[in-house]
Amino acid sequence: MHTMNSAAAICGLGITEMGRVYRSEQSLAIDAVHLALADAGLDKSDLDGLLINSGVTPGVDLQLHQALGLQELNVLTYMQGYGSSAAQMIEYAAMAVHNGLANYVCCVFADAPLKQDQRSGAAYSGRRGANPITALMGAYGFAGANAMYALGAQRHMDLYGTTQEQMGQVAISQRQWATMNEHAAKREPLDMEGYQASPWVVEPFHVLDCCLVSNGGVAVIVTTAERAKNQQQPPVYLRGFAQGHRHDTGFSNVDPLVHGPGEKIMEKTLAMAEADIDDITQCQLYDCYTYTVIETLEDYGFCAKGEGGPFVADGKLGPGGSLPTNTGGGSLSSYYMWGMTPVSEGIIQARGQAGERQASNDLVLVTGNGGILNYQAALLLSAEAA
Amino acid sequence: MDNTDGWIEPSTDTEEFFEGARAGILRLQQCDACNTHMYPLKRRCQKCGADSLNWCDASGQGTVYSYARLQREYHPRHAGRLPLVIAWIDLAEGVRAPGNIVDTNGKQLKVGVPVQVDFETDPAGTAFPVYRLA
Repeated sequence: MHTMNSAAAICGLGITEMGRVYRSEQSLAIDAVHLALADAGLDKSDLDGLLINSGVTPGVDLQLHQALGLQELNVLTYMQGYGSSAAQMIEYAAMAVHNGLANYVCCVFADAPLKQDQRSGAAYSGRRGANPITALMGAYGFAGANAMYALGAQRHMDLYGTTQEQMGQVAISQRQWATMNEHAAKREPLDMEGYQASPWVVEPFHVLDCCLVSNGGVAVIVTTAERAKNQQQPPVYLRGFAQGHRHDTGFSNVDPLVHGPGEKIMEKTLAMAEADIDDITQCQLYDCYTYTVIETLEDYGFCAKGEGGPFVADGKLGPGGSLPTNTGGGSLSSYYMWGMTPVSEGIIQARGQAGERQASNDLVLVTGNGGILNYQAALLLSAEAA
Repeated sequence: MDNTDGWIEPSTDTEEFFEGARAGILRLQQCDACNTHMYPLKRRCQKCGADSLNWCDASGQGTVYSYARLQREYHPRHAGRLPLVIAWIDLAEGVRAPGNIVDTNGKQLKVGVPVQVDFETDPAGTAFPVYRLA
């Protein structure tokens, strides 16, 4: 058996208030860490490792160590892998605790892009800078991730016949889950008519194809499987994990908008867990856009490349479906904490603490995606050790 | 709207690109060692790593890798032009270049269709490439 299969476990989860919480990102990070400590039944002095990741606002950095008043740490760093960071931090924390570098490593993310006097997307849509080539991109209208992923979705539609309604079904299925999540920002029911009526941002994306913008913080505490057995929460074992990162070369012999690094890492993730794809009972996928869910399901092998649209069209991702996915509503409907959105819901589900939205949780796939399908990290979580 | 000060000011390391555009020529970088073409601005060859990039004139012909229709203004240039088509163009030289496809009304816009470079000048006087369906 792989030495990391079930060697580490998650013993603490802290989720702050989400959404229009007009506070500094550092204060949200501090609260998330303390909520995770309370959840785990640990004291601040038990923490001897801290991994820090910030979102689009810059106030979460190495200073958090001091702001938390942590004394002696054995593991400490600031990391950035965009949307793959959350799963990455958990992977590095697992390796650290398994190898005795630290006992309890807290992985924290916080962000506060919503400001009272700005529209919600303002923090994400700036493309300034002295570089004239970058300025030209702005003049063309390559306005951040919305445009980049819309280009991916349109290519997928042209190549494979993926439809607007199929992308809409992702939003609808996730909204069905969100109605059962008290932390979700969008809880009113959504149907296809409502999806179609949502304004365009960058066609083929309606507003409802795009994730929310949220203020908040999430922290996760990782320890060894042995220690986790004696904490107050049920352990969530890390059964398998892998990462893959890919630079878009800019050459026309690659197809990076419809093939992500997930194609390469599912096999490694399953191999570590000694599991088969059919053993996965639910997915928590990084859903910056509806399209990302369709594309990720293909990359990870739940269906063939190009078949993601028909795959999701029958509502199988929603409540009562055969592959419950993004069961808290995901970043489209609950809260957007980058990779911590799928991670946090994956932990809640693996513990069996999801209440009326609880889905079959034998093996939970969590994915993180950063950049424009550039950076990918995956976790397999379970309440059962191997 | 963001980027109200977003007009383009060429720098010394990109003046070949923008001077080419003013003369109606699409310029790319090319590696002297392995002949690979690149969309600017690269410090070294993205393929072989050689420190030997020079500017070359491109054919200006390509096909559509993908496209999307901008429905919100993010730049003063977008005013009155929505929906504006943004696109990645696969140039004949093997390079994927960003741009707009202009004047698409009533024409078949699809992944894979051929395009030809054209040029536009911004209010500050800087010319830059755009594309038209061939």
